[in-house]
Amino acid sequence: MTMFNLTTDQRVDKALANNFLRQATRRATDRLRNNKYKASDELGNWEEWRNAGETIRKHVIANLDFYLHQLIEQMEQRGVHVHLAKTPADAVGIVRNIVREHDAKNVLKSKSMISEEIHLNHALEEDGAAVVETDLGEYIIQIAGEPPSHIIVPAMHKTRQQVADLFEPIAGHALSSDTPTLTRFARIQMREQFLRGDIGITGCNFAVANTGSIVMVTNEGNGRMVSTLPRVQITLMGMERIVPSFRELDIMLNLLARSATGQRLSSYTTILTPPKKSADSDGPEEYHLVILDHNRSEILGDKLFRTALNCIRCGACFNVCPVYRQLGGHAYGSVYSGPIGSVITPLLEKDWKKWGHLPYFSSLCGACTEGCPVRIPLHDLLVKLRMRKTQSGHTPQVEQQIFKAYRYLFTREKTLRRALRLGAHLQRPFVRNHRITGGPPPLSNWTKSRTLPMVAPKPFMQIWADLNNKR
Amino acid sequence: MTNTNEFINHLASKLGRPTPTETPPPVEISVPQYRLSNTEERASIFLQNWQALGGKGAIVKSENDMLQCLKEWFGDLPITWFKDNPQALIAWDMLPSIAESAFSTLNWPLTRYTQSSLDPRDRYSIAAHAELGITGSDLGIALSGTIVMNSDPLRGRVVSLLPPRHLAFIETTKIRNNLFEVLEEISALGTPPAAIEMISGPSRTSDIEMDLSIGVHGPIEVYVVVIDN
Ligand code: SF4
Repeated sequence: MTMFNLTTDQRVDKALANNFLRQATRRATDRLRNNKYKASDELGNWEEWRNAGETIRKHVIANLDFYLHQLIEQMEQRGVHVHLAKTPADAVGIVRNIVREHDAKNVLKSKSMISEEIHLNHALEEDGAAVVETDLGEYIIQIAGEPPSHIIVPAMHKTRQQVADLFEPIAGHALSSDTPTLTRFARIQMREQFLRGDIGITGCNFAVANTGSIVMVTNEGNGRMVSTLPRVQITLMGMERIVPSFRELDIMLNLLARSATGQRLSSYTTILTPPKKSADSDGPEEYHLVILDHNRSEILGDKLFRTALNCIRCGACFNVCPVYRQLGGHAYGSVYSGPIGSVITPLLEKDWKKWGHLPYFSSLCGACTEGCPVRIPLHDLLVKLRMRKTQSGHTPQVEQQIFKAYRYLFTREKTLRRALRLGAHLQRPFVRNHRITGGPPPLSNWTKSRTLPMVAPKPFMQIWADLNNKR
Repeated sequence: MTNTNEFINHLASKLGRPTPTETPPPVEISVPQYRLSNTEERASIFLQNWQALGGKGAIVKSENDMLQCLKEWFGDLPITWFKDNPQALIAWDMLPSIAESAFSTLNWPLTRYTQSSLDPRDRYSIAAHAELGITGSDLGIALSGTIVMNSDPLRGRVVSLLPPRHLAFIETTKIRNNLFEVLEEISALGTPPAAIEMISGPSRTSDIEMDLSIGVHGPIEVYVVVIDN
């Protein structure tokens, strides 16, 4: 995956140079955002729904051990195989074993961010299974070998021509690039796969603790296919994805559908309470639930960041983020992008070296916080993450030196004055129209695309003193 | 693999207290819910919303209405389909009686899904090759134009999924105002069925350039007959 091999700066430059990507991202996020506004305004009391959503999520997270235990008990009583995975490697191992045990050749997948998080496909393919992503967007990026660029619309960055080019070698003939043709091709292509699938792997939007149910929403219907046709089903779930009962589910489904795509309900909302009853004609005979921790328990124990677990993965924060809207998802370099991706990736992956740039992918304008249906204080969390990163000593040497110098100067009045005078002198060659427009590194990192206000020829302290003298 | 107690205890330690032994008191929820005044209004708003999503629909009051409506939607197609494929019309074992009698009057031969084959793989394939899947509904939601179907041995989940067209029947009295009422009613029944399917309109995607396309995996055409009895 080339994107993953680039540095952050290279990824950003690449995104900024890609006009289609930027236009498409803006157009798509505009659309999603406006749809959301319509759907939330329509309720007339969106803030009350948000309150309810926030309260429910906080309650679940504060009692996560209880509800998770209840869910596991319910599931196991009915004969579902529940697997608990501490790490992504554990989760991959569990799925791999199930696939091997059944000697499964055809694995069908409907959308699951957890499977992206644990990089599942690659491992299964290594074992010789054919893995088919059945969500149209996921299918496109699977063929392209790319990670999703948006949590709800994974192939947002692709043009229809690019999609046609990706489909053509599979079709074995030329395809016109209109969307109905491409959609029909995917339908026909996938039909055969659906009927051949040995194992279905799905994600989970919510798990209902007191009934032991899994709730899945899709618009295409692929989630229903994958959870009905194969004989064995595996559901992957992040351990925080819980609601206590159907009562709270109502609120969460409303918030999710309206925030994600502006629908009142997604086309297909499926509540599975597996496994199937023995007399039922359809549905998988064997059901596995894999629950993933992957440092979520660390976040749970960290009061500063616990609210990050409240996320329902609706994507609303992506659509309003000025940084996301300029760059698209790939510039982040992480599986989860957008504001919530910038928050959870460093916490899940615990690698400042690799993910330390993410808290800075924000203008701190607060639009994400405003847009979040469960009121996660995203911009606040981003600031706190910057603090964490600094505390852990992972900021670049130059930055550390600059802040040391800053502290040194601003705690010594005389030295500060001298430094300002020196600055006023040194800046001269770079000043145009009262702005600093160039300079040596590290200043040039800033001035290559922006300007800085010049150091005032007469410092404020001097002006103040003069005023006092005149009086 | 980790064992359950270890996993749960680890979370409790992160939360800084032992795991509660009783169900925590549920949070208070007060959101003003969408409500209509009567069955008639619910039926008509349901229909309006279903149509806005791209589905076809009609309210029928008698068997005659029903016949007309089916003829208008499908004409002689079912007879033509039948010539190529005797299992073109695939249905639940039981449909509302007014629908059953309409089909026999029209002489449209229905294949009952659960009896179509003993082997589930064969049944899936039969449903995938059918032209029209025919089902009832357990509940409906006016606000979102949604039909709700519980799985059951006499039904088959794929009847509403694999054929390119889906025709559903729903009695006006089964239509509720909102999702909350539907979920409340289902949870009152105890353990939920293996699958509850809520369907709002045809299968759709906007995955390519945000351009809305209908019918990527599920049915392309969806029809609902609202029975006002
Ligand atoms: S952080 Fe909030 S807005 Fe962003 S995806 Fe999660 S729930 Fe949606």
